Amino acid sequence: MNIENTASQMRKGVLEFCILSVIRQGEAYPSDIIDKMRAANLSIFEGTLYPLLTRLKNAELLTYRWVESSSGPPRKYFSLTEKGAAFYTELEATWNELANAVAALTSPIQASPPDPVA
Amino acid sequence: MKQVININFHGRVVPIEVSAFDILKEYTASLNRFFASEDGKEEIINDIESRIGELFQERLKSGATCITDEDVNAIIRSMGRPEDFDTVESSATESAGTQQQAETDTSAEPGITVKARRLYRDENDKVFGGVCSGLANYFGIDKVVVRIIFIILAVSFGFGLIPYLILWIAVPSSATKEIGAVRKKLYRDSDDKIVAGVCSGIGNYFGINAWIPRVLFLLPFLSFATRWGNWGANYDFFDFVQVSFSPGALMAYIILWLVIPEALTTTEKLEMKGEKVDMNSIKNSVMEELKGVQHRAEKFGKEAGAIATEKTQAMGADIGRVAKRGGRSLGDVIAFLVKVFVYFILGCLVFAFVVALFSLGVVAIGLFPVKDFLLKDGWQNIFAWGTLIFFIAVPIIGIITWLIRKLARIRSNSKLMGFTFSGLWIIGWVCFTFLLASVTRDFKSGNNLYEEEIVLSNPAVDYLELTSVRPNQTVYRSNWFRLEPFENLDEDTAIVRNVRVQIIQSKTDSFRVVMHRMARGNTRRYADTLASLIQFNAVQQDSLLLLDRGIPITRKDKFRNQRVIITVFVPVGKRVKVDRSAANWHNVQFDGPWDDDRDWEVETKDIQHGWDFGVEYIMKKDGLYTIGGQPANQWEKEQKIIDDWDNSGTPDDTDRYRYDNRGDNRGATDSVLMKQQLEKQRVKDSLRKEKEEAEAQLNRLEARTDRSPILQTSSIMSYSPMLMIYP
Repeated sequence: MNIENTASQMRKGVLEFCILSVIRQGEAYPSDIIDKMRAANLSIFEGTLYPLLTRLKNAELLTYRWVESSSGPPRKYFSLTEKGAAFYTELEATWNELANAVAALTSPIQASPPDPVA
Repeated sequence: MKQVININFHGRVVPIEVSAFDILKEYTASLNRFFASEDGKEEIINDIESRIGELFQERLKSGATCITDEDVNAIIRSMGRPEDFDTVESSATESAGTQQQAETDTSAEPGITVKARRLYRDENDKVFGGVCSGLANYFGIDKVVVRIIFIILAVSFGFGLIPYLILWIAVPSSATKEIGAVRKKLYRDSDDKIVAGVCSGIGNYFGINAWIPRVLFLLPFLSFATRWGNWGANYDFFDFVQVSFSPGALMAYIILWLVIPEALTTTEKLEMKGEKVDMNSIKNSVMEELKGVQHRAEKFGKEAGAIATEKTQAMGADIGRVAKRGGRSLGDVIAFLVKVFVYFILGCLVFAFVVALFSLGVVAIGLFPVKDFLLKDGWQNIFAWGTLIFFIAVPIIGIITWLIRKLARIRSNSKLMGFTFSGLWIIGWVCFTFLLASVTRDFKSGNNLYEEEIVLSNPAVDYLELTSVRPNQTVYRSNWFRLEPFENLDEDTAIVRNVRVQIIQSKTDSFRVVMHRMARGNTRRYADTLASLIQFNAVQQDSLLLLDRGIPITRKDKFRNQRVIITVFVPVGKRVKVDRSAANWHNVQFDGPWDDDRDWEVETKDIQHGWDFGVEYIMKKDGLYTIGGQPANQWEKEQKIIDDWDNSGTPDDTDRYRYDNRGDNRGATDSVLMKQQLEKQRVKDSLRKEKEEAEAQLNRLEARTDRSPILQTSSIMSYSPMLMIYP
């Protein structure tokens, strides 16, 4: 069992959730997504982002449209579909459950019991 | 020292070091290998490459002269190497699985419409050219719906193909796919220019010598000029081709000048020259396109089938939900169709407007040589120029420029341009209004009409021929098109063939010829002066009456609808002929609100109608007849045939022309209407007559059948047409 592999597995799990939450805030261009994630200290390669976006789009969680750019060819701007929004709320619920569980399990003192409804 | 090459990378020309280019090639190859089994492989690689292109451009914009190894490596580090990617194998297969049964509602979020939408052909999701998916993307409706609409249109009407092809050509692609595939752009070449570099730019684009487009642009002007030269001071009228193509070429040049950007930077200059567009490269790109078509079409078929089954299933399961969704997409489709329809109508209107203006321009240019005979110097002249340039040329150039810019999606300070064009057009309107007002004033009044006797040396001839060709003279016509009534222009004088001939039955037994001279002016007195200045001679030589070829108009006196009406009184029993050269049916005149129809005042009630040029006629008691005995008036001739048939070959001259004594001065339309009514009455009369005759015949027949026992049985039978033949 190597540490890097486990860490990458953990990151991979939340990556889609993070991307969806960035896009949920408004239409986004891939490099904007990267910037936001880097600003939040979650660095990924752009090369990883594009395949993920394509897969999410093919799963019809995302849609995109071409937006004119000031220079060169148009850019793809991604936004959530209805299905994507539903998918996101489900993921969010799961994440909250998970985060609470992890927080509860990792904190040395059980300050407050985990709220199962959150 | 490193070699730098220029590559075209996703629509951008990028100067790059050879070694850096090798690194880049290796990287894209590794991406290709890595995503080989991925479902959306092409799209992913396309996106990554397009991003790399963008990063290259940023680098170049920040001042780098070319892309170096370090740049490429930095970009690759940021993008990540395939081995760095987190392979999400499970999610890939999962997404491929879900796609089959996925819902097809891909409509965009309705709330987000902040940025300007733009129509693209979707390279990543296409069957043929990506037009349908582009439209679907643009309007936020299901691409399958759009495809089905296009297929239905194409199959049932056949015209789905045309908009598809137009859109394919006009709508830009969302991406250029291949590295190294040079996309040429049309620029004006500032290095090799005579006026604005339009021609050399076109030459560069098509890979031909710049002189070829130059000559093509100049050709109409050259022929124009040479004609002018040939004819010298006594030039002839320009023919249609020159008149229409010269402004056309000029306008095309100006429009191209406005539309095509100038190649300023090195990159733009490289884009301008690009790769030679030869048969091979066209073939390659076409082959490339076609390779994918079959595959994609199959996929679309499957997709459509899957959607159809899914939809039916869903309908069974949840009718309400589907109905709601269907209703929405139907609403979208209707909105889309309405939009298309409105654009179509608008397009037609704009097109009609441009065509109308253009033809106006052609007429204006055609009339240009006679401008000085029409307009006063000074303000009127300035207004005429203003009208031609600002009122006619400016909107044509403006609309076409706007259309091309719209289609080509050229972004610029179009607001400034719009203001400029509308401002200039307003100037044009002002010029046009003033010109119209000023010219109207000059044509306001007509002159006093009076008869002028033309002295005949021998009014007792049996035959008089009106002609303007002297016996030993031949007239050549050189051009196949000319503005008919204007002839023989020279520096000071234009000949206007505003000569009309009327024939009237003479009360005496000798010929008599009378002339009316007509003109207009700003006052009745000036109109009288102009009319008296008309020099028109008619001289009799034996049986010929030689008329002048036209009315000379001088530059000083201007053209104010000068006309001459020659009235020939022909005695009964004498012959007359009017040669084609002598007169015109159609006068050149400017009609307007000023026109009080003086033309018809000269007409008297026994004027002869329907005669033709170059035909000899004989005057009879009741009008003109050809030597062959046919009446001159075509309409009356037809009437005569009816009468002949009516009266079984015995012409009844007594009242056939009773309606001919119209005695009206109301003008052509009225007289034609009246003739039509009379004709109707006439036909009714003749039919009634026929009926009476038939009845009389039947009576006779019945009288006979009384004696015949066989037919006595049925009196009804005698009405059958069969019996009419037997007796």
